[in-house]
Amino acid sequence: MELFADINWALIAPILFIQVILLVIAVIDLIKIEKTNGPKWVWAIVILMVNIIGPILYFVIGRRNQ
Amino acid sequence: MKQWFTLLNKEFLEMARNYKWIWMPITFILLGVMDPLTTYYLPEILNSVGGLPEGAIFEMPEPSAQEVFIMSLGQYQMIGILIIALSMMATVAGERKSGVAQLILVKPVSYFSYITSKWAAALILIVVSLFLGMLASWYYTGVLFEFIPFGTFMESFGLYSLWLILVLSFVILCSAMFMQPVAAGMVALVTVFISTIIGGSFQHLLEWSPTQLLPYVSERLITEKWPEHVWPATGITLTMTVLFVLLAIYIFKRKELAD
Repeated sequence: MELFADINWALIAPILFIQVILLVIAVIDLIKIEKTNGPKWVWAIVILMVNIIGPILYFVIGRRNQ
Repeated sequence: MKQWFTLLNKEFLEMARNYKWIWMPITFILLGVMDPLTTYYLPEILNSVGGLPEGAIFEMPEPSAQEVFIMSLGQYQMIGILIIALSMMATVAGERKSGVAQLILVKPVSYFSYITSKWAAALILIVVSLFLGMLASWYYTGVLFEFIPFGTFMESFGLYSLWLILVLSFVILCSAMFMQPVAAGMVALVTVFISTIIGGSFQHLLEWSPTQLLPYVSERLITEKWPEHVWPATGITLTMTVLFVLLAIYIFKRKELAD
């Protein structure tokens, strides 16, 4: 537990915050979008389960651009 | 000129609808702060993961602020380039495949403004994202280690962004060359990574190569002096950028007419 006390939350909090924004936008987009590359539910799992990289992966390769 | 801005606006609108304006800057910021944080908290992370024998003492050399900042640039060099290539590979190829390009080009829109408006929009997005990312990295490095002078930071940003702009121009060139977005992305990525490896191995022979910009930025940060060949390398980078864009227009025009 002392590990948590040592951490400088003023530095970590903004990162957690933008990470949450990224996650929320990926989820909103996944709900609104008609088709993705590959099954939609797989992307839902990837976005929710894989920290940080999941939403980025979704935006880079999961979205069908056209 | 008015038409060109209309096209640019169309690109920006599309980027906003794709959420590119949100996820690209966030990704670059996360990439930038990752290295300062993990380097700083490495002893704690190792402790909490455990596995070290009781009483084992790890003397880790404390890296300098400059070294940590250069590590962040290494992230852009790998993952940043990957993201640029994958997210921009469809700019021309995708529109041609879906027929949007034909829809636009039946109107009196020149090939020049079609390609350059796409290029400019992507350039602005990437430069803004890179700036925010490097700024975050600079700030976190400053708080956790030591502040690098802001002027030096701006210089390294300016020089490094030229390299990424060159990469972007090459991705757009590939996108104009190939019908399949995936083919364009792969060709661009392989070429960029192979040329950085070649540039890294033959540093003393290819002093003017654009791939040397990152080593030169690192050298500038550590020694506080401009390396000897930095200006010719910059000039060649800018020239190649213009050439790639012009070549993209030329190839796109010929392909368009051929189809």
